[in-house]
Amino acid sequence: MTIESVAADPSSPFINDSVRSRQPSHQQLAMSDLRDGFKKWTVWFMLAYQDVKLRYRRSVLGPFWITLSMAITVYSMGYLYGHLFHSNLQVYFPFLVAGMLAWSLISSQFSDLTEAFTQSESLVKQIKLPYSLYIHRVAMRNVIIFFHNIIVMLPILAIYHEVAKVNFYTLMLIPGLLVIYINSISYGLILGMLGARYRDIVQIVRSLIQVAFFLTPIMWNPVLLPEEDRFIVLLNPFYSFVELIRAPLLGAQPEWTTFGMVALITSMGLFLCMKMFSKYRARIVYWL
Amino acid sequence: MAIIDLHSVSVAFPIYNLNSRSFKKCFLRLATGGRVVEDANKHVMVNALNHISLRFEHGDRIGLIGHNGSGKSTLLRLLATIYEPTSGHMTINGNISPMLDLTPGMETELTGYENIVIRSRLQGFTLQEIKNQTEEIAELTGLGDYLSMPVRTYSSGMMVRLAFAISASIKPDILLIDEIFGAGDADFIEKARQKMISLLNQSSIVVLATHSDELITEFCNKALLLEAGQIKYFGDTKKALDIYHNKG
Repeated sequence: MTIESVAADPSSPFINDSVRSRQPSHQQLAMSDLRDGFKKWTVWFMLAYQDVKLRYRRSVLGPFWITLSMAITVYSMGYLYGHLFHSNLQVYFPFLVAGMLAWSLISSQFSDLTEAFTQSESLVKQIKLPYSLYIHRVAMRNVIIFFHNIIVMLPILAIYHEVAKVNFYTLMLIPGLLVIYINSISYGLILGMLGARYRDIVQIVRSLIQVAFFLTPIMWNPVLLPEEDRFIVLLNPFYSFVELIRAPLLGAQPEWTTFGMVALITSMGLFLCMKMFSKYRARIVYWL
Repeated sequence: MAIIDLHSVSVAFPIYNLNSRSFKKCFLRLATGGRVVEDANKHVMVNALNHISLRFEHGDRIGLIGHNGSGKSTLLRLLATIYEPTSGHMTINGNISPMLDLTPGMETELTGYENIVIRSRLQGFTLQEIKNQTEEIAELTGLGDYLSMPVRTYSSGMMVRLAFAISASIKPDILLIDEIFGAGDADFIEKARQKMISLLNQSSIVVLATHSDELITEFCNKALLLEAGQIKYFGDTKKALDIYHNKG
């Protein structure tokens, strides 16, 4: 194996100026980081799994606490707000639970990924691994937690089977999760770099996430808004990403506007990520 | 054939003080656009390595000497491709095996065995290879049943044994060592020494950072003396040590 650094030409052992001028560009290096990071999936999967296990290492219930605490939150919230809003529990309960599942995935991706590099600082400084690997580790950790949480949906599907159905649209969950994962990687790299460079970003992201939770229709149904104001919801990218998970969980098809918004945000993320990661990849370790 | 070639390589660390690191300063700078704030926001750069040019070839056993902060560890991390040069060109042909201090990265809630597996995975070994070498690593640590206990129960000496054994489980080609000799009790030091000698003999290039003159004279055929991030002397070990000590 040959490890080449910045100015290296992998094909040639001879070092001269003509070789030096053919060094890989920043963009190529960023691409190969992404490729290598993805290829090492066994490593980041192991680390992600380890993270989840470690968090509950000495507790009796272990990772089952994830499911349990989620269940306590959403069921009590559903009961309380259902009565406060005088909503039909039959409709409101499944809507809230599915929405909360989607939201907990998206919001934890946002806040955790901002700390992806700073939390792995000792590893980054000790072992040469692709930077994207640390992003995968955090993103996958949250996906694993999501699969623990999703169990909370089972009683809902049983009790409110007229509203929350299991059907063909349930399968849309898989592409939905995939799209969210891709966005987690592209935006995760951006946020991770920002979080390493500016330590305030973590706090900023955390408080913005709080606000976004109330602005996004999770606790409240968008039909509560007057007809002419509903476009506000459609302009909220969080809404589209929540819908991407919530609709399949309820056995419904996401609206077409959702796909449009998601496509726009995803391509924007990929573009920005390539630009920023190419430019600042080599600086990350110096920021830690 | 392993080759390391550095051509006028520099590594400069930006030092962010609390003020300039925060977003507030950047925002204020944008908002005020004044010169005063901008001056206050200028980063201090530390030139850890300054225009280093050198070439290591097959068979080179290089002892890295210099005072604290002279850039030894930075150079090792640069060669381990952890730091990328801020300027200049670096070419490394060969498989790099860094043996840096592992203790800070140890997962203390996990057992010794689990740490062995994780570390080996991170270093790029396959599951099969790890299975084969776990026994050997366990043997080298001499920790016995303690390996099934969480690392947080270890004494610092035991921690060092584990860290050394894990980091020594490499297929060396270009071997980078950052002073991890001389840890543990007498019995372990001897064991570690044997392991090191066998690793050194297998390697194509060795770069060894240490403060021990004996290690340099015993293992190295060349020495690189660093001072304030620059090469003070590169060549004969005896001469390098002389310069180093006269100076000190």
